[in-house]
Amino acid sequence: MNHRKFFELAESKGITASEIYSAKKYSLSFELFHSEVSSYSTSESFSMSARGIYNDKFGVAITEKVNRFTPEYLVNEIIANAKVIEKNDKALLFKGSEKYHKRNLYNKEIPAISIDQKMKNLYEIEAKLKKADPRIIEIETVSYSEDAVEVNLVNSYGLNLKSKSNYYVYAAAVVVKQDEEVKTGYKVLLSNDPKELDIDKFVKQVVEDATRKLGGTQCDSKKYPVVLNQKTAASFLEPYLESANAEEVQKHSSFFIGKLNQPVASKKVTILEQPLLKNCFFRYFDDEGVATSNKKIVEKGILKTYLYNLETAQREGKVTTGNGYRGGSKIGVSFVNPSIKPGRKSEAELLSKIKTGVYISSVAGLHSGLNPQSGNFSLQAEGFMIRDGKLAEPLSLITVAGNLLDMFMDVREVANNPELQLSGISSPSLLIKKLAVSGK
Amino acid sequence: MIAKSLAIDVLNAGLATGADFAEIYLEQNNSSYLMLENGKTESALSSTTYGAGIRLLNKLQSVYGYTNDLSRKGLMKLASSLAKSYQGSRQITVEKISKVRVKNAHNYQRPLTEVSREEKIALLKEAHDVIASYDKRIVRIQTSFMNNHKDVTIYNSDGKRFDDFKERGRMMFMAVASDNGKIETSFEGPGATAGMEFFTDKISVKETAQRVAELAIKMLTAAECPSGKMPVVIGNGFGGVVFHEACGHSLEATAVAKKLSVFSESLGKQIASPLVTAIDDGTIVNGWGSNNIDDEGNKTQRNVLIKDGICTSFLIDSFNGRRMGMKANGACRRESYKYEPTSRMSNTFIAAGKSTHDEIIAATKLGLYAASMGGGSVNPATGEFNFAVSEAYIIRDGKIAEPVRGATLIGSGADVLKKIDMVGNNLQRAQGMCGSVSGYIYTDVGQPTIRVSEILVGGRGGTLK
Repeated sequence: MNHRKFFELAESKGITASEIYSAKKYSLSFELFHSEVSSYSTSESFSMSARGIYNDKFGVAITEKVNRFTPEYLVNEIIANAKVIEKNDKALLFKGSEKYHKRNLYNKEIPAISIDQKMKNLYEIEAKLKKADPRIIEIETVSYSEDAVEVNLVNSYGLNLKSKSNYYVYAAAVVVKQDEEVKTGYKVLLSNDPKELDIDKFVKQVVEDATRKLGGTQCDSKKYPVVLNQKTAASFLEPYLESANAEEVQKHSSFFIGKLNQPVASKKVTILEQPLLKNCFFRYFDDEGVATSNKKIVEKGILKTYLYNLETAQREGKVTTGNGYRGGSKIGVSFVNPSIKPGRKSEAELLSKIKTGVYISSVAGLHSGLNPQSGNFSLQAEGFMIRDGKLAEPLSLITVAGNLLDMFMDVREVANNPELQLSGISSPSLLIKKLAVSGK
Repeated sequence: MIAKSLAIDVLNAGLATGADFAEIYLEQNNSSYLMLENGKTESALSSTTYGAGIRLLNKLQSVYGYTNDLSRKGLMKLASSLAKSYQGSRQITVEKISKVRVKNAHNYQRPLTEVSREEKIALLKEAHDVIASYDKRIVRIQTSFMNNHKDVTIYNSDGKRFDDFKERGRMMFMAVASDNGKIETSFEGPGATAGMEFFTDKISVKETAQRVAELAIKMLTAAECPSGKMPVVIGNGFGGVVFHEACGHSLEATAVAKKLSVFSESLGKQIASPLVTAIDDGTIVNGWGSNNIDDEGNKTQRNVLIKDGICTSFLIDSFNGRRMGMKANGACRRESYKYEPTSRMSNTFIAAGKSTHDEIIAATKLGLYAASMGGGSVNPATGEFNFAVSEAYIIRDGKIAEPVRGATLIGSGADVLKKIDMVGNNLQRAQGMCGSVSGYIYTDVGQPTIRVSEILVGGRGGTLK
């Protein structure tokens, strides 16, 4: 669609400023089951999200149908939607930042590798999984996928920003059985550098994830010192940081209300947001066109800043922190590449401090068992007992319960082993003073 | 959305390398979303998704692709590129396509697409006002209205064309209560495959809003739920999420066909207490999870999954049916053209039994009453599940006693099904969204009040005394 035609029509109908955010996506994926390609999928799609300011209010319309009627459809819907908006905030579109740290992190090597080679990697993973352990009764899936997205943000003030990114994912899951007990294990590798695939290491991780859960028991229900592995710590970091979202703070739904420059975690904890980190989540402008920057959200336990987009910053007479990202029907506040700064000790050193404790290797049910507003959680978990400073018998179907704010205040040690998760969040293992674990 | 002649060419391009089945799924979905924050319209959005998905099957292999370029060039390019994944020669050619009549089973007296934004907002404000006036400790209220109209056309290499449409609407009410640093959230989200009359006549928006307000305040003052194994009475309606998570997903052919489900070998076997009969019914008139046809053109059905504790059927789509040697039963669904369809639930519920709700409570000496549930998740291979309880009470000496908050139920589906020892006569359904391999789809869960003799309850309140 011709942007100018849309901008001109919008202006003629009384829309004072407008914006088109378009995304072109490409994807490829395939999966093996019993040494056959059981599914293969490819796609190309395009979507266009238009926003316009009408009587100082935003109207929004999104479409995937692009033809000569599209500009008119978007303009009409923008006006009809803007007319019913009642909130007091004055709608704002961004004219542009002074400087953008633009970088091209699109890796041409990913699409350049032949499909045959990618397929060959899957067969190799499957073959090695088959031989890896006699307790593997099924290889649930071995899959590959790659995604590329091209984003273009253009507005009637003349701002025109583009970015292109891609990544690939290898995933495998196995089912293991010992006596009557069945467990599953999986591993996902996400990267935009093809050199990161190490098939032997990957296979080993899949197998270990499943087999080490066998023989699982339930521990006595009580409070234990707990070590969260990297994945679990990252799972908790995401909802914890939701409280730094200025919108949640303004709407009384955050446990960081009134905590600016106050302690929100133990002194061991420093939390960064690094949108300019050179990985596949890299962003040099947010979804409002504001230049992003790396920052400390929590420094040695002290909350240094809330995260703002244009609107939430305007409400407090502040400047946006470049954290305006699309979520559902509007541009809300979010973060890119958040991480807990690693400490100096190894995970083994963390464990060595505990006589009797629990090591949590994963939690489930975060969307229902954790209330991001209060920070209270009660989650299904699995892991291991810690006995005399070492991992002992596996634990399954246990629950771990607590409160996010209390838990981060109770961090005793931060390990030196950060790991980037599929969610884009990175954390090392954490030693928590005490958490309630229920089992028997 | 595309001409029949183009559809035939695209199907034949897809079949060129030996696929034994080809399908084009075309969709346009117009949706509208309105959201009020503390009684003021904060967000209004219109969106249109539009595209085609092409599926080529060859024995036990499937290839799938989608695009929103519905031109001849765009569709032929997609079909040919998908066909490249097979190396055989043409088995079948499509010569003609005839239309299969799809009967619409649902009534829309006032289609939501014709109701003004202002009228929907007025109803959202009514709900807001009820919640806002209930208690000062309610600090945030979000009320929203979504509706969509989806047109679907399916062409396949059996020479069939299906045209269908569906319209759904849902209102969602959320209240946040806060006091002394404690925060609690409550939610209700009634919806249907129906018009505006569902919200104005069938349900009471005010009563629903009142429940949301009451629950937020009640939970705010509740003590932390104790933890450990205990008898649990699960309330009717959304309590059915227990069955949905713990059992429903494991009865989907998606997991069963590859023998990745705990129930893969269970057909004809006792998998639940004899008190349990469970049904997935995609035909319920105006039901939230209902459809006239599924997303590969088969008529939806009422499938009895468990009869008196015996596993009697799975939910089967035609592709997974091949691996299982079983016929599809109208359970093939997808969020949109961006997803390859597979077997999924529709309106799934445990059928009514004989006990009354009061009898079940009275028969429980010490345990938990999970009056309403939040969401949850399950691992289909192990059947291990977890879900949050949004409204819970301790049962003492056969009576509902103090409310408790923060409870989670944890267990394995196979185990819990066998431990259901009382089933009530008060069946009710409730609306939800179910996320799985073929995306987020509309599903109803449901059940009467049931009792499970023992479940592991997670909570922060110590041991139950």
